[in-house]
Amino acid sequence: MRTVKKPETYDAIIIGSGMTGGWAAKELTEKGLKVLVLEAGRPIEPDRDYVEHVPITEMKFRGMADRQTTLKDQPIQRTCYACDEWASKFFVNDAENPYTTDPDKPFAWIRGRQVGGKSIMWARQSYRWSDLDFEANVRDGIAADWPIRYADIEPWYNYVEDFAGITGQAEGLPQLPDGHFLPPMEMNCVEMAVKEAMVRQYGRERVMTIGRAAILTQTHNGRAACHYCGPCHRGCITRSYFSSVNATLPVAEKTGRMTLRPYSVVHSLIFDPQTRRVSGVRVIDGQTRKAMEFQGRIIFVCASALESTRILLNSATPEFSTGLANSSGELGKNLMDHIMGGGAEGIIPGFLDRVQFGNRPNGIYVPRFRNVSSKEKNFLRGYAYQGAAEREGWERGIHESGFGASFKNSLRKPGRWRMNFHGFGECLPNPANFVEIDKGRVDAWGVPVLKIHCEWRDNEKALLHDMMTQAAEMLAAAGAVEIRPFNHNSPPGLTIHEMGTARMGADPKKSVLNAHNQAHDVKNLFLPDGACMVSSSCVNPSLTYMALTARACDYAVSQMKKGEL
Amino acid sequence: MERREALRLMGAASVFSVLSSDLFAATLRAQLAGNKAGSLRTLSAAQNEIVVAMSDVMIPATNTPGAKAAKVNEFIDLILTEWATEEEKKIFLKGLEEADRKTNALFGHGFAAAPAKEQVAIVQAFDEELAASRNEKLPKQVRSWELTLVLPFFAQMRRLALVGYYTSSIGQEQELKVEIIPGALHGCVPAEPEVKQ
Repeated sequence: MRTVKKPETYDAIIIGSGMTGGWAAKELTEKGLKVLVLEAGRPIEPDRDYVEHVPITEMKFRGMADRQTTLKDQPIQRTCYACDEWASKFFVNDAENPYTTDPDKPFAWIRGRQVGGKSIMWARQSYRWSDLDFEANVRDGIAADWPIRYADIEPWYNYVEDFAGITGQAEGLPQLPDGHFLPPMEMNCVEMAVKEAMVRQYGRERVMTIGRAAILTQTHNGRAACHYCGPCHRGCITRSYFSSVNATLPVAEKTGRMTLRPYSVVHSLIFDPQTRRVSGVRVIDGQTRKAMEFQGRIIFVCASALESTRILLNSATPEFSTGLANSSGELGKNLMDHIMGGGAEGIIPGFLDRVQFGNRPNGIYVPRFRNVSSKEKNFLRGYAYQGAAEREGWERGIHESGFGASFKNSLRKPGRWRMNFHGFGECLPNPANFVEIDKGRVDAWGVPVLKIHCEWRDNEKALLHDMMTQAAEMLAAAGAVEIRPFNHNSPPGLTIHEMGTARMGADPKKSVLNAHNQAHDVKNLFLPDGACMVSSSCVNPSLTYMALTARACDYAVSQMKKGEL
Repeated sequence: MERREALRLMGAASVFSVLSSDLFAATLRAQLAGNKAGSLRTLSAAQNEIVVAMSDVMIPATNTPGAKAAKVNEFIDLILTEWATEEEKKIFLKGLEEADRKTNALFGHGFAAAPAKEQVAIVQAFDEELAASRNEKLPKQVRSWELTLVLPFFAQMRRLALVGYYTSSIGQEQELKVEIIPGALHGCVPAEPEVKQ
């Protein structure tokens, strides 16, 4: 995957090489197209760049992070749990990649600019959305309706799961459809006990299942099974978790039809008013700062939700003065992210003669149970929990008293079992949560930056409150002690499930993209990443992005074959 | 500079410690801040001796080596030099002074030179003082990026000694027997003796 000199007109140009860009590269090259993938950041060589097996003993600050450097260069990125001393190199430099917000409304925009994008550091949780989600807006009478239903996307969930490899346990729940799963990972003793207690307390209303994750529990499509080292976000030399670098880009590369160009910062798209098509892309070389252009018959914008919208906003023309493909006026509006940071934890007594062997890169999941069959008075929609039980490690000694030989001997053994539930709540689309170009500022490559206006509103706050109290109730039902509800006051953005700002829809007057992620206004322009989302569900979105991308690619190529594109 | 000024410089914590004489305090500070120890960049030779001795009292050699062998002092020097803020560093270095002062007041010599029993007594005093100042029993959930050492000296010392020890090669390989690549996942297995964690 190195830069190769090729003719500068391509069948397709894909902007971004992460989760969706990688899928677009695989699908379009496999269907015979000559494809240029433009990646803003540097190349990634797994042998050189992955650091998952580097022991903490070799880290300069022993896992405490290079605090002074990250305070200076990554004051926002460092607030993400995955931006640790090992993996901080996979997160952007905030000084080079600025954006602005309202002073009292922080938005944590977490980004990865390198081949693979954020698919290198993502948390790999992979769930299908259901018609509870796709029908949500029309049921509640807010925003706009999704132009698709579960039946439209189901075959594409099957398709991407079969390639990516998703571990999970079928549960038969309508709100969280089962997929084509690889064998599930095991719960540990305490998780099994909590699960049983929840069955006794809640029956089928609140089900605890093992996390569904894009991690291989057996050899799959030439990639090796997981070896349970744990920190996937630092890379995976055995390619056992799904990322574009580990899975989709190598397939695209193998076709011989992909040119991958790193250090290619996209400034804007070139719109031809005669043909009413986009003809190419304006690029700033990330190293030389030289401006250049590339031509393509179709363009897939896969730069991540807000970067994709930023590109369209920066591509305004006399006709589309508020942003390319924005005749609807919807571009930039309805920014969403899942509200997180609320939940509870507690001690589960006993089980001290039992341990978990292996570092499971996955947790447990409690699918949404609010407003599924019940009707809540205080809020619309709902939330799901991710969580885990684990025994306390030596770190507990930091907060305890004691010292000397007996203290040391006690810390050698694992401590008590802690169980936690972390909620992830649906965010309602609201046009007052929006992005625009901050005309006063440019980034290190001279590209105008975003101004992000976003805040949690009453419905999200009500969900957060409920997810704290219900998590505590579930822990109590499971016999936990020292139960502690928590609220981390997590700002929007930090969940890294940012969605919306270029929504799909059947009506060109109310949406930017059609049911196939094709711009209503510009037929050869496709945008299948998180920007397209019409509502946010409470379900982790990446698997849906993958399915929508593969589906959009199929549609685009069929249209090309019919001579429509 | 007299006693009041000396007390001010040493911070409020020194008020309840026994101070033998102003002259002693001034001499002590001069000694402690003197020559750097070997390759260390913040700790002086005298400060380093206290850190080495105190961390080894906290995490002594047992059937595995302790903090001294794991060079916890070098880790602490790195943190003080490249990680900590000036405020955090100041608290730590003053704490070392206080350790020496307490030992001197009680036993008539500095901490590093004290016999093991005396060092244990001093660490015990620090530990009890810290325990009394903790208002919560539960561990504070500090997210890694919020980690701060604006804490009482002995809370700093606890964190740095433990992190320094358990993340060293000795701590990881000999004490905890960490396996980087377990190679399998078993959710629920007996703790001993089949599987060591």
